Amino acid sequence: MLQGKLYGSPQAAVADIPDGSTILVAGYAGYGIAEGLLAALLELGSKDLTIIYRDGPYSDMGLGALPSIEKLVSSGRVTKLISPIPYSPGSGSDIEECWQAGQLEIEIVPQGILVERLRAGGAGIGGVFLPTAIGTRFESGRERRTFPQGEAVLELPLKADYALIKVAEVDTLGNSIYHGSGRNWAPVMAMAARITIAEAERIVEPGELDPEAIISPGIFVNRIVAAT
Amino acid sequence: MVEEKERLPREVVAMRVAKELPDGGFVNLGIGIPTLVSNFIPDGSVVFYHSESGVLNCGPLAEEDEQDIDLINAGGQFLQMVPGMAFFSTVEGFAMIRGGHVDVTVLGAHQVSATGDLANWMLPERGVGNIGGAMDLAAGARQVIVAMEHTDRNDGPKVVQECSYPITGKGCVSLIVTDLAVMEPTPEGLVLKEVAPGWTVEEVQKLTGAALIVPPDLREYEL
Amino acid sequence: MPPRLDELTMARRAASELQPGQVAALGSGLPARVAEVVPNGAAIQLLSDGGALGYSLTGGADSAGGPSLCGPNGLPVALEKGGSVVGMADWAALLRGGHVEVAIVQPARVSAAGDLLGWTTAATPGLFAPGRTVDLAAGGCKVIAMLPHIGSDNSPNIVAESIPVADGRSCVSMVITDIAVIRVEDGVLVLSEVAPGWRFDDIAAMTGAPLSPSGDLKEMAPNLEHLKTERPGKVFPDGPSAITDLQDGATVMIDGFGGPGGMAHHLLVSLRDRGTKGLTIISNTIGIARIVNFGTPAGKLAIDHSILVENGQVAKAIATYPVSPSASRPSTFELAYRRGEVELELVPQGTLAERLRAGGAGIYAFYTPTGAGTLIAEGKESRVIDGKEYILEQALTADFCLIRGHKADTLGNVVYKGTSRNFNAVMAPSARVTIVEVDEVVEAGELAPELIVTPGIYVDRIVIRPEGFSPYE
Repeated sequence: MLQGKLYGSPQAAVADIPDGSTILVAGYAGYGIAEGLLAALLELGSKDLTIIYRDGPYSDMGLGALPSIEKLVSSGRVTKLISPIPYSPGSGSDIEECWQAGQLEIEIVPQGILVERLRAGGAGIGGVFLPTAIGTRFESGRERRTFPQGEAVLELPLKADYALIKVAEVDTLGNSIYHGSGRNWAPVMAMAARITIAEAERIVEPGELDPEAIISPGIFVNRIVAAT
Repeated sequence: MVEEKERLPREVVAMRVAKELPDGGFVNLGIGIPTLVSNFIPDGSVVFYHSESGVLNCGPLAEEDEQDIDLINAGGQFLQMVPGMAFFSTVEGFAMIRGGHVDVTVLGAHQVSATGDLANWMLPERGVGNIGGAMDLAAGARQVIVAMEHTDRNDGPKVVQECSYPITGKGCVSLIVTDLAVMEPTPEGLVLKEVAPGWTVEEVQKLTGAALIVPPDLREYEL
Repeated sequence: MPPRLDELTMARRAASELQPGQVAALGSGLPARVAEVVPNGAAIQLLSDGGALGYSLTGGADSAGGPSLCGPNGLPVALEKGGSVVGMADWAALLRGGHVEVAIVQPARVSAAGDLLGWTTAATPGLFAPGRTVDLAAGGCKVIAMLPHIGSDNSPNIVAESIPVADGRSCVSMVITDIAVIRVEDGVLVLSEVAPGWRFDDIAAMTGAPLSPSGDLKEMAPNLEHLKTERPGKVFPDGPSAITDLQDGATVMIDGFGGPGGMAHHLLVSLRDRGTKGLTIISNTIGIARIVNFGTPAGKLAIDHSILVENGQVAKAIATYPVSPSASRPSTFELAYRRGEVELELVPQGTLAERLRAGGAGIYAFYTPTGAGTLIAEGKESRVIDGKEYILEQALTADFCLIRGHKADTLGNVVYKGTSRNFNAVMAPSARVTIVEVDEVVEAGELAPELIVTPGIYVDRIVIRPEGFSPYE
């Protein structure tokens, strides 16, 4: 019988994340963050993690987003961050301190390039020629080529072991929908990870979601846990 | 010429393939024998069907009086609406395939080579063929199983040393299930895993265009 | 010195630059404040990488209870009528694909050549984190920079020399500061407007690069009246009127996966009646519904691409499944192909979908494993990446795209029905002119924004399928 996708707790859903994993964390400016899963990951204690995510705490705006990633970094669990903007400039983030102290590697990738590299990873594409980085520091070390449309550089796919996403509603097969800005990186990250874990506001039976409304089909969602 | 012996019916071939599908897996079925596979999923197992037409969790075909042109599978057959379906565009449908999210595809073939090359999109004598989703499935699905008759209409082998027809994918087939045998293409050659009841290795070899490697654990077709 | 402009006045000046019908992508900082000054119901759409396409601070009248959305600064916004929710990949594709007319960014510095250094890049020394700035700068659209004219240490933010860690090169065409509006014209900075009370000399003295006065130098006077109009309507009375500019030799995308579902039959018939010749048709099949039953009623023929082939209008097909599955029942296209009357470019289905997506999303080419080692790979670059063989495939675009939706609103937002979504949603962004045939047109705001599959930004014209129209003839 099919082992269901439902897990009883965030702890159970992340329990097998080993040291050295690459983890995608969806979220934008405090929206759509799987806080329960991130807290469970912190509790679990896995080390040498590479974390790919969009942005750091927007503390100046009172949203308090992603303190969990700061905690993972400051407790020495993270080897590398890949992000377009890993902390809010001038916020005095622990991430900045650890990076300056040489305890952390950070790879900066412009967000449109990052999202396309993740999509390529999730869609089995071997690389994409994008015009975005032409003439900037992000072109360095990359192959440049001329196409009828203009100049472009080769960007390689990014894949991960796990993705931690927040969904508004999910059926027990993993079909997921989001609310508003909660969508952000989740659909792409869900594709790009070997195991995608969804923290859901609401879990329903198959058939309760409008099949036209589903943004992440269940094929991309491996584990489901209720948000608390 | 091998004497006329009974070969396994298409349903049995499909039943044998069904055993290979992982519980809870995502599966894409081609047309022909592959389509029949869905009738033989073992009790207690669940398989989710992906269709290039843009739907996941396809269920049974629709009755004649409830056909909806907006609900079809990749073969153009009408589907019933079932709980848990999800619709998506072609670009997402193929991201699922190429991205390795589809666990198994079961395809028919004109020819399969000993090293797992697949030819199923074009018969050279026609001069033009349909690729459809076949090349993406061959390149992208985690596992490609071929389900077909062992020989063509003239009793010529469809399992060959090297494909003479234009190929769909190189070295992509991991298992061949026919009405005579179950075979596994490997870099070393074609390994005969199972033979149909009543058939000898020699008889199967005569109808096969590639040398069969016979392992010590060769078995009768297992259902 | 006269007073400098406050942020909202600068935002008003930036908003004055927008033209009705345009889409503007906003960055964080000053640009995010443009949403505060654009009047509700204005004839433009704002795009936030928070996932809102067509938003304002308070939203349209009916938007209460809508999705919870944020602007580029993380603060809440609401969708205007006809707005939709997009994911991050959609945001990037909108920009890179050239679908956004204006991008407004806040740099810390701008050079005379139009290079820019984003504020977050400057504020993260050594790390240089641009967030969204590189994407906005490279969007291929008009880039407006908003920034204070001088820094807190009184040093100029507009400089002559090249910026070493620039987030974009030669991309800025207009600079709006708290004292001036400057146009960047081929590496020359032209002062075109001054804040009330400011003189050219004072501004030039505070600018770190040579500045020339414009011939019509004037005082800055933001005006948003021109945005208080209706957005141009997209609904056409019928198929023929929607394709009057579809000319001989055009490349046209027409979907229809295989059967009659998802095919813009009325537009197809309109195109046949128009008689346009020498067409290149991009589609999944090039007409097999006619010969494969697919539920066609007895005595009838399904309308499909065959009607164009029969009428001698097709020069070339780009397709994945061009012929009948049965050799004994050849399609119209196959017969024409055998007679040498039409060309065929055969493409794997997933590759066709990906090439179309690339065309609409500003990706010039990509490596796919599909077809490696087969006939499809002939003449294409092959490359091993991470131990796997891939071939290089090019983006695909077209002059026109004729798609079939279920419902559209008057702004062109489209929802589909079931498996009839397939290639329609993929083709819509990749043509110069996209025309959708739907069963029903509703008012903007009537489609649930989370359910919109193809945002109106990708749709130029809407045609209602005539009542009682049959896909069979």
